[in-house]
Amino acid sequence: MSLGGAEAAVAARSTPSRTRRRPDPLFALGVAIVAVAVLLALIGPEIAPYDPTQATLFYNEPPPPLAEWPGLLRATLAGELPQPPHWFGTDASGFDVFSRVIAAPRIDLAIALAANVLSLGVGVLLGLVAGYYTNWATALLMRASDVMQSFPVFISAMILVALAGRATGNIVLALCLLYTPIYIRLTRAEVLTQRKRGFVEAARAMGSTELRCALVHVLPNSLAPALIQSSVTIGFAILLTAGLSFVGAGVRPPTPEWGLMISTGANQIILGEWWPSVFPGIAISLTVFGFAVLGNALERRYDGN
Amino acid sequence: MLRRYVLRRLFAAALQLLALTVAVFFLIRLLPADPVSRFVGLNASAEAYAQAERNLGLDRPLLVQLGQYLGVLPGAGPGLLQGDLGTSWVTGSPVLDEIAHTLPRTLELVTLSFVVAFLIAAPVGMLGALRPGGTADRGVFVYSLFAGSQPEFWWGLLFVYVFFFSLGWAPAPLGVLSPMTSAPEPVTGFMLIDSLLAGRPEVFVEALHHYALPVLTLVFILSGPIIKMVRQNMARALESDFVLYARCAGLPGGAIARAAFRAAMAPSMTLIGILYGFMLGGAVLVESVFSLGGLGQYAIRSILAFDYPAIQGVVLVITAVSLLVYLALDLIHAAIDPRVSYA
Repeated sequence: MSLGGAEAAVAARSTPSRTRRRPDPLFALGVAIVAVAVLLALIGPEIAPYDPTQATLFYNEPPPPLAEWPGLLRATLAGELPQPPHWFGTDASGFDVFSRVIAAPRIDLAIALAANVLSLGVGVLLGLVAGYYTNWATALLMRASDVMQSFPVFISAMILVALAGRATGNIVLALCLLYTPIYIRLTRAEVLTQRKRGFVEAARAMGSTELRCALVHVLPNSLAPALIQSSVTIGFAILLTAGLSFVGAGVRPPTPEWGLMISTGANQIILGEWWPSVFPGIAISLTVFGFAVLGNALERRYDGN
Repeated sequence: MLRRYVLRRLFAAALQLLALTVAVFFLIRLLPADPVSRFVGLNASAEAYAQAERNLGLDRPLLVQLGQYLGVLPGAGPGLLQGDLGTSWVTGSPVLDEIAHTLPRTLELVTLSFVVAFLIAAPVGMLGALRPGGTADRGVFVYSLFAGSQPEFWWGLLFVYVFFFSLGWAPAPLGVLSPMTSAPEPVTGFMLIDSLLAGRPEVFVEALHHYALPVLTLVFILSGPIIKMVRQNMARALESDFVLYARCAGLPGGAIARAAFRAAMAPSMTLIGILYGFMLGGAVLVESVFSLGGLGQYAIRSILAFDYPAIQGVVLVITAVSLLVYLALDLIHAAIDPRVSYA
């Protein structure tokens, strides 16, 4: 019994490395979800059957029952209908919910990506400087990012966007301000270990300037933690953007944005009109999950090396 | 030893709060919002505007305003250092009183959710850790990844649709008590405690009933990261040499599990503290879905109304509570893990 237990313990130790090599259906799902979201961000508003910011004449129309969908789809493709069906129904203002759901990635993904690229760029550069030079200025930088990171995230985002004005650019800047300290910290920690490695020393011995060492040798080898974090951060930026719209501190109506759509449908859900909120919610739920899966896969690949 | 450690931590926390207060103070005044025209309206005359600006104290230099807020300006009345958070510009009542009314609701919601989430998530995470790479582990892992990346306000609405509209099991999402019930005398501010103190168990049950859906929503979201953490720490503990030794020595399974559980819980405490602090601010959305009237909803109202003293108060109190929770959990961590000392 005791020996069997010991064997099981040893076996349990070796299993993780074996399972890692199997093809991962979850990873494929994550890639597919993110690919669809990116595709919709590129062409969503163009392929939407209705103008996402133009009200139709029908208010609060429920979506057609699922059983009728195949027939409706055939009729739509054959061009037999006078106008395309409202697949996801219409909301209280008469907007076509389906068109808005597929038009929204352009706003949601653009905000998340822009905020992420900007904070990644600034954070990595500052992290490199802070890891390379330890003086009073970089110590001050680290204290400042400590203070930034002790802010309650969602409340700070609300304050920044509401007081700066509810514009898309301001949401991007607010998210940037909140995410930059994370990247500074991750990059700095990595730079601190990389700059002492042998190949950096060798480059220096061969006459590379300090700047060349930092940019060519240390920087590329210190990027991994920040890049892995960015996949997770994009997902959370989408959640945060939607949350801001939900409490009325995000993009302005009638911008097609998932959080705003959930918010406009929130009052109707008590009355049983579920479709204006449920469909954009499914879209957020899947998209953020997709980015989380990607981030997790990257993390495990990096740790496995 | 312990006392000195706690005092040092409290002192550090006080300094951090002071830095944070100053940062927030300048941040909200540097942003291009115009609270004065929010109060007098856009068509107000220049005199009315100047009068309102004077009333709010916004006509004075920033450093004088800061000095007054902190309470270090001679002859300007009490400020933060005397325990006064100022008066709300919207309601005219002291910010401290308003926070004292709303904070217990949020603490009640978040604490209740954490207890339930932990009771459910800890066994599930351990189930995953028992056989790493097995089917149960994969399932638990996918669930925790999914639950940890969800829009909680949307799930709240979905639960309202299913459990209130369709099934009729839950009450309408309109607060902690039905409008017909008179609230018990506020003693602690916590509805669940006050109702028992007032000797009204039926109010206690009613409040629990109203908390059911918001707690369910938060438990769902929280279970993701908690399961992930417990699974990771438990798997690490089970792989460790002391468990291998315990197995070789022939200890019964229950004793091994207890030892591993204790070793897994200690590092989990830190993450729970961070998560708790995050949720104090993050519960905003769930509070607003269920109109619970907590600190989060107070924050939304203050921020959208440009009520600067209230905004400062909310950020300060949320951060202060998080720092206290970190401290408490570090003490628990030290009590569980004999390797940690108050160095």
